[in-house]
Amino acid sequence: MSTARFDELIHAPTRLEIVSLLAAAQWADFRYIRDELGLSDSALSKQLSTLESAGYVEIRKGFVGKRPRTSASLSAAGRQAFEQHVAALQQIIARSQRNGDAAPASRRSER
Amino acid sequence: MGNEQRPQPAGPGATGAEAAAELAAIRRRQEQVVKTALVPAWYWWALAAPIVAYGAARDSRNLAVQATVIPLAVLVMAVLIGAGIPELRRRAKVRTAPQATARMAAAIFGMIALVDAAAIGTAASLAAAHLRYPATIGCAAGAAVLVIAGPLLSRYSRRLMLSQVRRQTGSAPQAGGSIP
Repeated sequence: MSTARFDELIHAPTRLEIVSLLAAAQWADFRYIRDELGLSDSALSKQLSTLESAGYVEIRKGFVGKRPRTSASLSAAGRQAFEQHVAALQQIIARSQRNGDAAPASRRSER
Repeated sequence: MGNEQRPQPAGPGATGAEAAAELAAIRRRQEQVVKTALVPAWYWWALAAPIVAYGAARDSRNLAVQATVIPLAVLVMAVLIGAGIPELRRRAKVRTAPQATARMAAAIFGMIALVDAAAIGTAASLAAAHLRYPATIGCAAGAAVLVIAGPLLSRYSRRLMLSQVRRQTGSAPQAGGSIP
């Protein structure tokens, strides 16, 4: 299991969703991410650029026939940051379960 | 999908409920990616139909019917098989370990072998017994195996990919939880 570490960059809702999606994929098409998350082209570009600047995401641009294709994938650093963030969330849940206040909430999320 | 309400991020001072909601949102997104790699339920019926059409054309003994239906059935099957390969849809590729990929490939080849065995075995037995419409009934038997085994294969692949993805990202449900 990864060391728990809250990542301020990826814990913003939209970025976390992008990273969650990319964590499950080897690569994902720009249009696929946009459609699945219901974002505009510019909003997704902005978030991907932020993640790319941090070294969390790698962007690949190419052509299929004459049509340009952009795909994104999570870098090793991005994957590690995501795993650490997930570990931090699990740590919060475990801590609150020990304190006895989050057990029902955690069970609710499993349904 | 895209219109659903986004959960508020659970900061370092978040409660267990907020963190659990965020983890659930992460798992939902991962399921979305896995779903991309799977074919819809109707896919197996759409693939079964040209198989039966192929058998019926073989039994018709009518050259015009055979010359039209057989190439058409083969073409429809080829298009459907191509459409079923996620990489060709160029949307996203699920991250799976080589062992999981090998297990899924083995399951696919196993299903193809089962469909062929049912179709060829039935058709050959009927032909040997000089019964009518051996190819039609044989292909229908193969198609029946396909519509039963296909959804099972999809379910198996989904479970395998989800468990892989969650194990790799460390987002598997904790003790007491289960993979849906």
